Amino acid sequence: MSKTTTEMALDLDAKRLSVVEPGTRVDVQGDLSDEARVEKAMTNFVKDFGRVTATYMEACIHCGACAHACPFYEASGNPRHTPIWKLEPFKQAYKREAGPLAFFYKAFNLKKNVTLDELKEWQELLYDTCTMCGRCTLICPMSIDIATLVGMARHGMFHAGLVPHELYTVTEKAQREGSPLGATPQVFEDRVEWMGDEHEVDMHMNEDQADVLVLMSSIEIQKYPESMAATAKILNQMGKSWTFRTDGYEATNFGMLSGNTGWQKEMSMKVIGTAEKIGAKLVILPECGHAYQALRWQGANMYGKSLPFKIQHISEFLADAVDSGSIKLKPVNKSVAFHDPCQVSRRGGATQAPRKVLEALGVELIESKSGGSMNTCCGGGGGVITIHRADTLRYKVMGAKFRQLDETGAEMMVTSCSNCRQNFDDSSEKLNWDKQMNSLLELVADNLVEEAEK
Amino acid sequence: MTLLDFARGPAMQVAIFIFVLGIVWRLVGVWALRQKKDLSEARQKGAWIGGIKGLFAHAWPYKPFVPKVGAQYIVGYVIHLGLFIVLFFGTPHMLFFADIVNFTWWTLPGGVITFVALITTVALFIALAKRLVDPVQRLISNFDDYATWFVTTLPFLTGLATTANLWPHYETGLAIHLLSVWLLLIYFPFGKLMHSFWFVVSRYTTGSRFARRGGMA
Amino acid sequence: MKEHALTLGEELRRQGVSRRSFLKYCSVVAASMAIPATMVPAMAASLAQARRQSVIWMSYQECTACIESLTRAFAPTVENLIFNFISLDFQHALQAAAGDQAVEALHKAMEENWGKYLVLVDGSIPLKDDGIYSTSHGQTHLESLREVAEGAAAIVSIGTCAAYGGVGAARPNPTGAVGVDEIITDKPILNVPGCPPIPEVMTGVLTSFLAFGELPAVDALKRPSAFFSDTIHDRCYRRPFYDQGKFAKTFDDEGARKGWCLYELGCKGPITHNACATMKFNQGVSWPIQSGHGCLGCSEPNFWDKDSFYKPLSAGQWGSAEGIAVAAAAGVALGAASAVMSRKNQDKISGGK
Repeated sequence: MSKTTTEMALDLDAKRLSVVEPGTRVDVQGDLSDEARVEKAMTNFVKDFGRVTATYMEACIHCGACAHACPFYEASGNPRHTPIWKLEPFKQAYKREAGPLAFFYKAFNLKKNVTLDELKEWQELLYDTCTMCGRCTLICPMSIDIATLVGMARHGMFHAGLVPHELYTVTEKAQREGSPLGATPQVFEDRVEWMGDEHEVDMHMNEDQADVLVLMSSIEIQKYPESMAATAKILNQMGKSWTFRTDGYEATNFGMLSGNTGWQKEMSMKVIGTAEKIGAKLVILPECGHAYQALRWQGANMYGKSLPFKIQHISEFLADAVDSGSIKLKPVNKSVAFHDPCQVSRRGGATQAPRKVLEALGVELIESKSGGSMNTCCGGGGGVITIHRADTLRYKVMGAKFRQLDETGAEMMVTSCSNCRQNFDDSSEKLNWDKQMNSLLELVADNLVEEAEK
Repeated sequence: MTLLDFARGPAMQVAIFIFVLGIVWRLVGVWALRQKKDLSEARQKGAWIGGIKGLFAHAWPYKPFVPKVGAQYIVGYVIHLGLFIVLFFGTPHMLFFADIVNFTWWTLPGGVITFVALITTVALFIALAKRLVDPVQRLISNFDDYATWFVTTLPFLTGLATTANLWPHYETGLAIHLLSVWLLLIYFPFGKLMHSFWFVVSRYTTGSRFARRGGMA
Repeated sequence: MKEHALTLGEELRRQGVSRRSFLKYCSVVAASMAIPATMVPAMAASLAQARRQSVIWMSYQECTACIESLTRAFAPTVENLIFNFISLDFQHALQAAAGDQAVEALHKAMEENWGKYLVLVDGSIPLKDDGIYSTSHGQTHLESLREVAEGAAAIVSIGTCAAYGGVGAARPNPTGAVGVDEIITDKPILNVPGCPPIPEVMTGVLTSFLAFGELPAVDALKRPSAFFSDTIHDRCYRRPFYDQGKFAKTFDDEGARKGWCLYELGCKGPITHNACATMKFNQGVSWPIQSGHGCLGCSEPNFWDKDSFYKPLSAGQWGSAEGIAVAAAAGVALGAASAVMSRKNQDKISGGK
């Protein structure tokens, strides 16, 4: 029984302190001094100040058009979410340290040194509100590749110990355990075996030699394990020499997403080394967006020389397969709207591949108003989905996405990225979306004309 | 030496000297930075074609963006086209260039140039108003943006005043017009007016990088 | 010595000029000087009472065109009569006397009219080497000017040479030639520039002096505003062609023959103040632009040195073309230097590549 008193009267008319808008928490890792953090940020910023970066940083004319292509700005209306503004400390550092007029900017202090407060304030802008989707580049009159530069700016942020907490945690876990979501090699092996049994599919695991090395993302391993069965089914149908490997399977690269190039390289080298070891001619990336970016476009640069094998996103592989007639598909008589994963279509260059597959599936593809390479990002990639304080904005972005897809009037929604799919699933629960996002890979596997049936 | 003599002679020479020096400096200063080679396998050969296409790709916004930024682009074009027309098709200006390149070309009547200059000036003021009012532009704008606006608008205002003979003393007004142009030239290499050169490099770079990937920019 | 001097009114009557003609002349002069019509009777009355004004005309480092222009006349005109009325006590080009006799006449005129005589000057005055480059009768023109100016009521500098130095002062100005007002600073000075000036401007100025006893209103360059406040461009009959963008491109092309604007052929009309476009020369017969040649800007200081007469006004005055090459080379050097600095700085901050 509580102790109570009637001595102290309640003054209901007195002014109360309330929180109108909660401040953003700034996450800090490690116990570096303030100066050391700034120093580390600068050390890693300057490594990226090359000719291309410099061109982009010089080219901006402050027109602000980029804001109107960014799904985060469109959802929040907050000018701080203007894409080029996300790069402001990076840009200032460039102009002060490596630009052609750097000497004068420094001498007369016309461009200030980056401060820790600035970097802290920018944590939200570089991580929470940017998936590096690159839509801003489409609208920029100067064609500035802001997305790539955001990735570079993250290098400085990581080493300064300024990564959002959850993103840092999964990254560190991935570095330590091999997977951000606990899909360790053992777990991977177990679940592959389970899928093999469950779907009666021949799983090739840890073969010494194979033409094709298949990678999976932890999201699929843990949340959509049917993808593994689907991939196996198709490859077996095609009679390919392929394998999974427990020493090189993780397609996601949280080193890249968080900004640690050292870890990014290690994570990439795991799969590259394995592919080399088994003499693979082709590495298939699963339904994942940033995985494609990490290996297909940044892998060789991590490696230091051209890769000795081809790399394809699973949708590209399937497109080739239907093109060459290696697989035949049963018709799916539905109307479909396709959500393009930004890193595969606009940033990756494989926009047509999924469409070829959908065509082979005989669906009626209805393009959304700003679709294909101009697709609006789902807002979950690049690590954003791991950051819980970004949820509110992410749901707003997804709200716009749902409206966009609903507008097509299509019966079925399809995508080819598990992170997008995860985002759709999570958001549709919160926003009561009446449809479901489907995987292109699983759709193909489900409608594969199998050997026995021919 | 009158102010006009100064403006036509030494001031012009100094301004053009700084103009050329500054532009070359800034371009070389960036071009000579390091650049790591991209070792990834290109999706298709001939990325340079993508680079050339990239020069024009963003000349007008892609369809989904037109409602959002179309007006901004139109104001921008009015300013740039107006400047182009006034600068190259106004007879006194054409003769300035003709003196350098040794050939003349057809020009527009004075009244048309005045009209174009007026429209351009109005567009410049609209652009400034937008920059002061739009929350995105307000946040990202700095001294350079406003200084650039000033040095660009001043020649239009002084030129219009000179053509309309609004100055108390014509020669002084003409001198002020010339000096306002030299101010623009001197400021040019050190601010965002350099975008006149950067847009080529930047658009080409992105166009070719993404053609390499097959993606879109 | 003079007998009883006639007033201007008496003199004109003696010559058979009617009062009506005289009044008409006064109206014309008043109108050309923008003097209100209501002032014409007062002006006429004053002029009629005017006594012979002693005028001493000194010619220095000049080409004599100013005298030619002002004294050239087709037929006797009222202006000529006015000229006859002033007592031109010294003019070494026109007078019959020469040598010591002439100089004696000069000194006598100065003595007798001390403080009241008007000095007209044409030609520039060299200053270099104590002014030895222009002398008369063993005396430098510098000394002469100082001497003559001492007792003057006012000085009128006729022609661009006397006003601003003119052709004598053109680059490199080997004689150190200057205009009158750079030497005489304590007397009222009026400039009537032009190479040569318009005769009617001169008579207008004189008439004004005779009528009102003082020099007319002037602009910043001491030129009578009545004649020099507008530019040639503002009054040029070819202005509509300028506005329409119709220019002659060579001296005998179709445009030239059609009388189109001469801006592209170097006309300096826009920056030249004079009355040529309205008053013209040779009593209104023609003027340079009407004859098909662009205005040289001859009533403006230093017009000889403002680049070619045939280069358009808007063309730049280039020093040398090499300057641009130097600028570009310097830009490359600075750019390379800044890139090297940037690279070093990047290495320093990142602790190696």
